[in-house]
Amino acid sequence: MSENLLETLSVLILLSSFVLMANKRISSYIKSFRIQSMLIALAAGVMGVRSLSDEGRWDILIVCILIVVLKVIYIPGLLNRTYASVRYKVEKDFILNIPILVLVCCGLVVFSYFTLATIDGSSQGMSNMQLVNSVSVIWIGLFFMISRKKALGQIIGFLVIENGLYITAMLATQGMPFIVDLGIFIDLVTFVLIMGMLTFRINDQFDSIDTDQLNNLKG
Amino acid sequence: MGFLLLVIPIIALLLLFILKPKRLLHLVSVSSAVLLLIIAAVLTYKVILYGAIAYSSLGGFFYLDALSMMILDIVLMIGLMAAIFSIGYLEEEVKQGKLPAKKIRLYYMLMVTFIFTMVLALTVKNMGLMWIAIEATTLASAFLVGFYNNRYALEAAWKYVIICSVGIAVALLGIILLHLSSAGILENGSFLDWTALYANAASLKSSVLRLAFIFILVGFGTKAGLAPMHTWLPDAHSQAPSPISAMLSGVLLNSAMYGIIRTTAIVNHNQGSSSFTGRLLIGIGILSIATAAVFILTQKDYKRLLAYSSIEHMGIIAVAIGIFTPLSIFGGLLHMINHSLTKSMLFLSAGNIMQKYDTKQIFKIKGILKTLPISGTVFLLGLFAIAGTPPFSVFASEFSITAAIFNQLNLWVGIVFILLLAAVFAGIAVTLFKMFYGQPDSTEAADPRTGEINIPGTVCLVVLLTAVAAGGIYLPETVRELIIQAQSIVLGTI
Repeated sequence: MSENLLETLSVLILLSSFVLMANKRISSYIKSFRIQSMLIALAAGVMGVRSLSDEGRWDILIVCILIVVLKVIYIPGLLNRTYASVRYKVEKDFILNIPILVLVCCGLVVFSYFTLATIDGSSQGMSNMQLVNSVSVIWIGLFFMISRKKALGQIIGFLVIENGLYITAMLATQGMPFIVDLGIFIDLVTFVLIMGMLTFRINDQFDSIDTDQLNNLKG
Repeated sequence: MGFLLLVIPIIALLLLFILKPKRLLHLVSVSSAVLLLIIAAVLTYKVILYGAIAYSSLGGFFYLDALSMMILDIVLMIGLMAAIFSIGYLEEEVKQGKLPAKKIRLYYMLMVTFIFTMVLALTVKNMGLMWIAIEATTLASAFLVGFYNNRYALEAAWKYVIICSVGIAVALLGIILLHLSSAGILENGSFLDWTALYANAASLKSSVLRLAFIFILVGFGTKAGLAPMHTWLPDAHSQAPSPISAMLSGVLLNSAMYGIIRTTAIVNHNQGSSSFTGRLLIGIGILSIATAAVFILTQKDYKRLLAYSSIEHMGIIAVAIGIFTPLSIFGGLLHMINHSLTKSMLFLSAGNIMQKYDTKQIFKIKGILKTLPISGTVFLLGLFAIAGTPPFSVFASEFSITAAIFNQLNLWVGIVFILLLAAVFAGIAVTLFKMFYGQPDSTEAADPRTGEINIPGTVCLVVLLTAVAAGGIYLPETVRELIIQAQSIVLGTI
């Protein structure tokens, strides 16, 4: 039962990163990120309930609550506030047009399928497909970072990479040790805070958050 | 006692937060660095005598063995030098109006946090926690790289955080795969525990482990500045304040390299030979040296040139780890020490030069030896040292690495390696020695009068120069003992 649910969720999470890639506006990036984080929290919830009933472990449930608090509520809120204060008229900021970007994403899924086909991930009862889905999310996040020019787009791309890593860790290995999860959350929040502040400063100095302007240092 | 290493920076951070007077801020930063170094010295003796130090409290995460101790010693030594140098450097920057006086506190707080994260990375045995600490080093030093808050510094800081964080994210994928390769073999309490992974290396799943190694090499390699993931490094190192550049180059790169060495040890133990990791490491190492050589030959900015030279030396260390014979590992570890000392000395003296001339352009600087007699001399000798001229210590380690390559009959690798080193040598000589000739030009230089600016900092330079020069001729017995123990940890011959 829960295995089917997780399978569905991992497909939905992959789908949400496709949706993100097809977004045009920064405000909808933030929405898609929030939806993806909700799906991940749901997956963590399913696994948490299972591990609680099987082994009596609370840690995955605590992680699930942390995901809801940080990735669904706090970080998107922070990004929205940053966006509100550096708002721009021009919204089109991707390098290729959207159908091509989505096609490349499909290519990335195929690529991770062939990368991971050789290893057997089924050691702890997980199907290889889940691993492929979640690793694809990482590559799509990376590609999203490359394809967007605005500072905020790059921050969200990184957060999607982090989401992908998190879901990979959870599905592949029943979660990392609890203390590692906690540390990753601390790093993630610090990252978002620092990048938010840098975005403000770049906006002050360059009158824009277009990272194409960051091209003075060469050689 | 080991926990003090983590407690002292936190106390120092609190003190820096509370205290106001500038003099007290300087005092806190230097005295915490001194205390850390004293503790590290005591711990080093313990490690040499008894092997690894581990405590069962706090989940048993604290762990120090000869390998981490060696790099920790470098971190804290360079940390102390940078702390002493910072006093004069910051005072001068404030006097020249480049920094507001109230930013000194922020500078020290970030610097202490930076040291704390590096100490943390080196004192845990859990690969996951080590990853977290290495990611935290990026975050702690982001604002130090962008400290001047101008266009260039912000660009460097942005690239630094984005590239390193993504790289490190790739390393996390590698660590997840490492975890996956141990599924069903390790117990719940020892997940990702380096000692447990190493002890059970033979039964880990090879296919997953090989994939994990590739990701970890790319990830930590980004942080270590190995080509082609090095692009953030010249920007960050040239824009950061000089004491921070010294720490980035001398210390941070080594911490990332440490992650690669730990993983290599596990993978080689699992595979039973070094052929898989060796090919990758030698390839990426040679590529780094070649990239650095090209950019050094055409460089116009002396801080960027030093940064590219760091890429070269990380490449040399990667090659040494890839060869994986006792001699090459010894040479590689020794090279870490030598490179750190020499490169931080060069960055610190470059700081003095920059404050005097107010430019990073090589062609605008003439006659350093007259304007800055001590820093100039240190810079000149340091350039010889970093290029690998005897009698300096870098020569000793580069020589043993080269010998190790030829001993293993890797003829072509050896020839390419030597040719590239020669190219780098020529690059450094051709490009930088221009700075020493000619008369100091009073119209172009901001402050052409002769004399040193930063007296305590210059003392540091002389101390480092003495160490670098003496290290080429004589290696103290304790250092040798430490390196040999570290070598046997890497090779697994304990």
